[in-house]
Amino acid sequence: MLMPKRVKYRKQMRGRMRGNTKGGSTVAFGEYGLKSLDRGWVTNRQIEAARVAMTRKIKRGGKVWINIFPDKPYTAKPAETRMGSGKGNPEGWVAVVKPGRVMFELAGVPEDLAKDALRLAGHKLPVRTKIVRREGSEG
Amino acid sequence: MASDRATLKVQERDEFGSRESRRLRRSGLVPGIVYGHGGDARPFQVEERTLRTLLGEGHTLLDLELDDSAAVPVVIKEEQRHPVRGNVIHIDCLEVRLDEKIESEVPIELEGLDQAPGVREGGVLDHVTREITVEALPTEIPEKITVDVSEMVIGDTIQLSVVTPPSGVKFMADDPEEITIATLSPPRVEEEPEPELEEETELVGEGEEGEEPAEGEEPAEPEQPERVGESEDE
Repeated sequence: MLMPKRVKYRKQMRGRMRGNTKGGSTVAFGEYGLKSLDRGWVTNRQIEAARVAMTRKIKRGGKVWINIFPDKPYTAKPAETRMGSGKGNPEGWVAVVKPGRVMFELAGVPEDLAKDALRLAGHKLPVRTKIVRREGSEG
Repeated sequence: MASDRATLKVQERDEFGSRESRRLRRSGLVPGIVYGHGGDARPFQVEERTLRTLLGEGHTLLDLELDDSAAVPVVIKEEQRHPVRGNVIHIDCLEVRLDEKIESEVPIELEGLDQAPGVREGGVLDHVTREITVEALPTEIPEKITVDVSEMVIGDTIQLSVVTPPSGVKFMADDPEEITIATLSPPRVEEEPEPELEEETELVGEGEEGEEPAEGEEPAEPEQPERVGESEDE
């Protein structure tokens, strides 16, 4: 599962997710990409689930790129705990995704298979997505 | 190309700034600017529909007609697109002289992919370099550089040095041997579902550092990275 090797602080503030993505809005490595239309936190488990769904669909051949990295820890308090007494424990890792971000890329497979694989990957994510092609390639 | 140069008719723009640009876009126009040859930059606005059609045709060199002044040859230096919708939100044009060489980015296209023996055997073609800077007269800038990959077998690599540039075009690369255009790698073996492995991560230092102690709780969560400066400080 994706997570940072080392971090400076265990816990982070939640932050805001205003505006659209500043970079990473075009397909940079592959032929097809999965672009987010919403903003949200994508956990490392969701990224892994999407990757597995994609690689299983394309079976052999093809290449997958993951353009997001879950570098933000999120915390949660144990169940049935009263409020207060500090921030909860780190529970997992998320990547902050804003609208327009190309999260996954794919190359080396036929178009219909690529679209199918990306569609399946999109179903594992907590954001609405759309499939995009590399700029300059027709279609 | 030069023979069938398209003309882009634009109007001068005298309102600037993000708010005005937003209003422009809302009314179906796209802000842009033309510059080059040491003259002043001239802002313009153009109808989005016209621009979209023109960009879709893939012209390298255009004639820009600013209001009723004479058309000037320009190349599109940059187009900014909306990150979500993908429509053009701004365009930069560079005025060029037809007798002066310019540098431009040209896409590289692979040809004969299906015929390549390596691809038929299931190899994965990786298109590494997709754009190359060329130097040429504006009229001679190709729309694309086509590279034939129909002879590639698994393990092959095509470098820029084996590509012949079209006449009048020079590749701007220090070492063409170093620029890989495409590689054909062996097929990826189907990944079997790996058992859920707990990752070997360095744990947060066993309460040695004073900052943020674990408050009596077990710090040894299964998935926790090392904190920077944990062990070195001690």
